[in-house]
Amino acid sequence: MSLTRRQFIRNVSVAGGALTLGFQLTGCSGKPLQLGSDADFQPNAFLRIEPDGTVILQIPKAEMGQGVITGMFTLVAEELEVHPSRIDYAMAPVHSAFGDPEMRLQITGGSASIRVYHEILRQVGASARETLVAAAMQQSGLDRASLEARDGRVRSADGNVDLSYAELVPVARALAVVSDVALKPADQWRWIGRYDQRVDAVAKTDGSARFGMDASPEGCLTAVLLRCPWFDGAVESFEAAEALALPGVVAVFATDFGVAVVAEGYWPARQAAGKVRVNFTPPGGGLRDSAAISAALEAALDGEDFASVRDDPATAAAEQGARVSARYAVPFLAHAAMEPLNATCRLTADGCEVWVGSQAPDLARDVASRVLGVPREAVVIHNQFLGGGFGRRAAADNVAEVVAIARELKQPVKLVWSREDDMRHDWYRPAMAGAIEARVHPDGRVSHWQHRIAGPSINQQVLPVMMGAMLPQWVPGGPRQWVGDFVGKKDFASVEGSKELPYAFDGVSVSYRNVPVPIPLGYWRSVGHSHNAFVVESFVDELAHAAGMDPLTFRRQHLPESSRQRRVLDAVAKAANWGNVPAGRFQGIAVHDSFHSCVAEVVEVSRVDGKVRLEHVYCAIDCGQVINPDIVKDQMIGGIVFALSAALHGEITLKDGAVEQSNYHDYPLLRQTDTPPMTVVLVESSAPPTGVGEPGTPPAAPALANALFAATGERQRRLPLRLG
Amino acid sequence: MVTFSLNGREVEVDVDPETPLLWVLRDHLQLTGTRFGCGMGLCGACTVHLDGAAIRSCSTPLAMAAGRSVTTIEGLGGNHPLQHAWVEHNVPQCGYCQSGQIMSAAALLAANPQPDEESIRQAMSGNLCRCGTYHKVQQAILSAAAVAHWQPAAEDAS
Ligand code: FES
Ligand code: FES
Repeated sequence: MSLTRRQFIRNVSVAGGALTLGFQLTGCSGKPLQLGSDADFQPNAFLRIEPDGTVILQIPKAEMGQGVITGMFTLVAEELEVHPSRIDYAMAPVHSAFGDPEMRLQITGGSASIRVYHEILRQVGASARETLVAAAMQQSGLDRASLEARDGRVRSADGNVDLSYAELVPVARALAVVSDVALKPADQWRWIGRYDQRVDAVAKTDGSARFGMDASPEGCLTAVLLRCPWFDGAVESFEAAEALALPGVVAVFATDFGVAVVAEGYWPARQAAGKVRVNFTPPGGGLRDSAAISAALEAALDGEDFASVRDDPATAAAEQGARVSARYAVPFLAHAAMEPLNATCRLTADGCEVWVGSQAPDLARDVASRVLGVPREAVVIHNQFLGGGFGRRAAADNVAEVVAIARELKQPVKLVWSREDDMRHDWYRPAMAGAIEARVHPDGRVSHWQHRIAGPSINQQVLPVMMGAMLPQWVPGGPRQWVGDFVGKKDFASVEGSKELPYAFDGVSVSYRNVPVPIPLGYWRSVGHSHNAFVVESFVDELAHAAGMDPLTFRRQHLPESSRQRRVLDAVAKAANWGNVPAGRFQGIAVHDSFHSCVAEVVEVSRVDGKVRLEHVYCAIDCGQVINPDIVKDQMIGGIVFALSAALHGEITLKDGAVEQSNYHDYPLLRQTDTPPMTVVLVESSAPPTGVGEPGTPPAAPALANALFAATGERQRRLPLRLG
Repeated sequence: MVTFSLNGREVEVDVDPETPLLWVLRDHLQLTGTRFGCGMGLCGACTVHLDGAAIRSCSTPLAMAAGRSVTTIEGLGGNHPLQHAWVEHNVPQCGYCQSGQIMSAAALLAANPQPDEESIRQAMSGNLCRCGTYHKVQQAILSAAAVAHWQPAAEDAS
């Protein structure tokens, strides 16, 4: 994809006249974007160079560990000709200039950041560089060909002209920004694909990195919230006399979200909360227990009313092949990021300021403005480092809560969730069920693939909230919910990773049935791919065994010759020495496309005295042009650890409408001692970069399930999996 | 009033002695590098040193620190060989667990300057990382352990 100049201007909101207008960059909101001072060189919304030469990049995406700041610095640095480590960052304020070019919202998700911004950011760097060179031309009287920009300076070949960017700022800021700059060809790159540091590593090793949890405006109190354990209850009454008598306790009051307990610090607030007795309105009817939900999903699979999302008719007669069929099920999952949710709010004369680590700061702003009853422009969001996001921090329930508390309290306040709050009030990865069947023919061909998926729709719940931030606020909730209900019928988030089945099977049909549940749902690292890859790649393995073929050979046979899937399969098979493992070792393989990338994984296990152990995980990814190899590898490994934690331990269960798990003892994650060695292969590609934050996650569960089948002969079709 | 030594300096705090050390550090002394993850001794994000030993500050009442010496991530000073190794290996992803990881690793190296991989895994198994940086943690500890000139006692010398 290459951008035309017009698109570029629209997407970046580069004000061509930014400099002459004093950088009055106006977005849809009509509010000008004011960053830095008039003395800075600010060629566009993203970049500014201060008179002392400091280069500051506005980061339009959340940094939650995926390395987006490093990636963006690298892209800008490459064209700007300054070393990536010489750039400083600022978390971009909420402004239409920083909305995601595809999603419109200023949201971090879909593993999209580098894919959608790589060309824009290189343009940002290139046009700034050329404007600085134009300033040097003016200064020196030399032509373009006589000057070269490198390492933050513009020099002439003979060395007579040697100007730092800092020296050029006063001249450059008065020039028209040079645009339509040709980007550097790949063979001249110094950092793209090579830079191997993380620019945020120092702050994250000396304790100085500021997360949402660390915000503390002057006079800030701490609040905890007592929420209803079931999701449809509200506060009926409460008794707080005992709590109010404790030292350090400031106030106890009811909000729309629960009873707030405010004190001078987290500990007195938490102690006092333990003394408050709250009566909540009784739970409604419906699906309130895990067993009932599982039964409802099972029953839905047997019913009608499925919406078709793909229907390629078969040419073969069905009765020719042997019918293979199976049912799969996956549980609700929590995100369990290491930093429990939190948010801090200070009221201002006309609105408020909010400090939060958010994947969707404009959603946070919209939510805050609605709770406070002020225009969006009266809310300022200070985005912080995120102590893990994984999709959870795309929601702004924590922001709604803290603003409601601050509104009542009229003092700066930080709301801190306990780990238990975080576990019991997540926006969960939905439980899903699948029925799948196909015909395997004697020659190994496959026909009549039919996959039916039943489960609750994330987007039915989440889209109406997201749209709240995208539409003018006078648009009422009804139409937004209508859109959510409509999208929910064929929810793309429920079928992604199944609908796009890459195998050349004869006849593929995929259909979905929405089974609403009264439980908050959200995006969980790789979303629909997280469960569909498990079902599809487990079942493909079943078909391979039914055909009496090696699972790798079987997959290759059904994939086009020069496909990315084949390339990553071959790469991972080579790394894992597929088919040649020592006695007592067993391997399982899976391949899956997500977020425009393609990943194959092999899980290797051993089996001794009936006990299965993880021995090694191999991974190969094709994500197009790699920007930072080390970060891509880390994202693969991190995505695999995340997936294996879920595949082996992850299960959120409900009883009487409330989540039963509470902390890491009953929702365990892989630990240092459980994590096997891993090998990651980056498949070379010069195609434009695609996602890396999520694509490592989907293939791990099926690769493990397939390895367990190889080791034990038992096919496990329900997550979490048992090791022997 | 409880008095203890914090990163080499004497401090006196007027806080309920039952308060977990974590919240004294974060809320009263504004040392926010020590993180809150679980509050139950399950994740290690809050790890600090008490007289050189790694402890979970979320589950350690302030009273236990009275008259003793506490070191937090800020007290490592930024020049600790582990911190250098952490940066060199790009260990952190989100970074939230890393103060705790480093403090656990520092206590390990102080007790066992040349740990093998298995003892590293065992010593670090109390520190959860949701981002999955375990391999990098291990590599960084191994490479810091290989720094010959490092004196384990340096940490408390300040
Ligand atoms: S916060 Fe102390 S161990 Fe988790
Ligand atoms: S780096 Fe994110 S939890 Fe460890």
